[in-house]
Amino acid sequence: MPRATAPYVLIFPSFLLASAIILWPLKEIVSLSLHDVNRFGMLRDFIGLEHFRVLFADPDFIAATWRTLLWTAAVVAGTLIISVPIALILNEDFYGRGIARILIMLPWAISLTMTAIVWRWALNGESGMLNSALRGLGLIDTNIQWLAQAATAFPMQIFIGILVSIPFTVTIFLGGLSSVPDDLYEAAATEGAGSWDQFRLITLPLLRPFINIAFVLNTIYVFNSFPIIWATTQGGPANSTDILVTYLYKTGFRVGKLGEAAAVSLIMFAILLVFTIIYVRLAMREAKA
Amino acid sequence: MTITQKLCLLAGASLIAFSTSAFADSTVRVTIAEYSKGTGPYFEEAAKAFEAANPDTKIQIEVVPWDNLQQKLTTDISAGANADLSIIGTRWLLDYVKEGIVAPLDEHIKPDFKARFIDTFLTPSVMDGKVYGLPIAASARAMYYNKDIFAKAGIDTPPATWADFKTDAEKIKKLGGETYGFGLQGKEIETDVYFYYGMWSNGGEIVKDGKSGLDSKAAIDTAKLYKSFIDEGLTQPGVTSYSREDVQNLFKQGKVATVITAPFLSNQIKAEAPNLKYGVAPIPAGPNGDKGTYGVTDSIVLFENSKNKEAAWKFLDFIFTTEQRTKFDKVEGFLPVNAEEAKDPYFADNADLKVFTSLLPNARFAPVIPGWEDIAQTTSNAIQKIYLGQGEPEATLKEAADKVNATLK
Repeated sequence: MPRATAPYVLIFPSFLLASAIILWPLKEIVSLSLHDVNRFGMLRDFIGLEHFRVLFADPDFIAATWRTLLWTAAVVAGTLIISVPIALILNEDFYGRGIARILIMLPWAISLTMTAIVWRWALNGESGMLNSALRGLGLIDTNIQWLAQAATAFPMQIFIGILVSIPFTVTIFLGGLSSVPDDLYEAAATEGAGSWDQFRLITLPLLRPFINIAFVLNTIYVFNSFPIIWATTQGGPANSTDILVTYLYKTGFRVGKLGEAAAVSLIMFAILLVFTIIYVRLAMREAKA
Repeated sequence: MTITQKLCLLAGASLIAFSTSAFADSTVRVTIAEYSKGTGPYFEEAAKAFEAANPDTKIQIEVVPWDNLQQKLTTDISAGANADLSIIGTRWLLDYVKEGIVAPLDEHIKPDFKARFIDTFLTPSVMDGKVYGLPIAASARAMYYNKDIFAKAGIDTPPATWADFKTDAEKIKKLGGETYGFGLQGKEIETDVYFYYGMWSNGGEIVKDGKSGLDSKAAIDTAKLYKSFIDEGLTQPGVTSYSREDVQNLFKQGKVATVITAPFLSNQIKAEAPNLKYGVAPIPAGPNGDKGTYGVTDSIVLFENSKNKEAAWKFLDFIFTTEQRTKFDKVEGFLPVNAEEAKDPYFADNADLKVFTSLLPNARFAPVIPGWEDIAQTTSNAIQKIYLGQGEPEATLKEAADKVNATLK
């Protein structure tokens, strides 16, 4: 086999597999998004970018797009900020560390939908655990109707999103921390660096590649995360907590506008593609370094 | 072709061969919506009984939660992998008929078969003079009220009109504590219907002469009425966070004095809150005496692409016998759709069900229009905005009506 063609021949089988799994559905979705489609996915006339035009004229879609970016940014930033100190603590040697680590990781084993449903109950205005706890502590006098309006529902959803993202993120950070050699700290301590300086000048720079990866992976997961918002509010009231995935689901399977739904998923795909490219570039830069 | 590829092909081919044999001519696949814990077991049992009588036919039951039913049907149908029979909401039927997805049943329906049904329930599944589905489940809506709370507030009878209802709710509020007169649903499926109850009482219609009735005076009055209940603290707080199940739960807990819902709540109360003293009454009337309840049927349909229409029909015939219907409706707490069945003492002597059946002459069924779910969503969103105080009733309903009119075109 000539040297020049060998790589292509060797790549070919996996390319074939990738096409079957990724490219073929992509082609189908592109064709759905450019045609008039009935609610059972049968194609009718070619209508070009009409579905996209309708979407961009829909204020609910625009609002859902911005909200998705806010949702992703808030959950990812919140997760990273909270996970770093948790990982640092769990990296210390203390009595019961094993149990503490398990407790942090345990929620990971529970399906996201179940967590979200438990929260839906906890946030119930009249019989929810959260209100009775707050009343028991004397913090509030009247029940807060958490899920009745976006002003309280959406922050709660972000809070739940952060809670469920912590286990995964802490795991990545713990892996990162275990690769930081102890003698660096010893050397720094001898030079008179305080613990803040040690964190700032040693831990953080060495943790950076792991933070990058946690950032990108979390962004992709959270951006696409359906269960939390669906189980608590279904994007309501009046679409005020919709993100793109819930908007997509409603458009496709409730209302039956499969063409528009295909267009939404393509737009989401495009946004995620950008994230993925960033991820690949980060990963490659780390590999070179 | 490599050996592995050949093997793969072979495996694939045998898989196809296998799957055809598994779904041989004699197998009828049935997609069932899960109404309650009892739905699956009931249909499994019915399938067994049918198979015992018809050894050459196999019935394969697939139980799907209601929330996922639309999604499953959409994906199955677009892939051509749908079952032979399926339960669907009758309000979706027009979309199915228009696309030629479901088969008319007329060639199978003999006069004595048709005579089994109570007409009110069969009619919604008739389109263009053809029967496209059989009413597998039927229900109507009435007002459940908590007798203890009413007595405490010094009210003897359930409210006859919305004006009475408001006075009653004010009395209940005066009792103090966290008990509310009107359990108002403001979230998820049927938020729109909860609004229609009042709208019908005020003389409104969902669709009139092909136009949305949302911008009618009746609709605007209803929105203002409901909003006044909310603003004066006569409903539970935060109505937009309460789905139908949530409001029913508040009723079971004695936190709201009334809830408008379907007959199945009686079964739930019996099981979960047996000490609750409640009554069932018609939905209050409007100022001109207009009344309305929502009549709902779900249909079981036969798909056009079914290769087993004969066997599938036989199964339909079987589950619509009086014996099977009685079993099913007792499990689910639905209204009898079969005239013989209605004479069973369980239904005939049931005080709650009597109220529901007495309301049927005034029942409105979902209008036969395309895009029902689209309209439901538009309506729910508009109403939620009004409940939240984010939109003036008139302007918000007008905007929604325009949107609905665009869908109706």
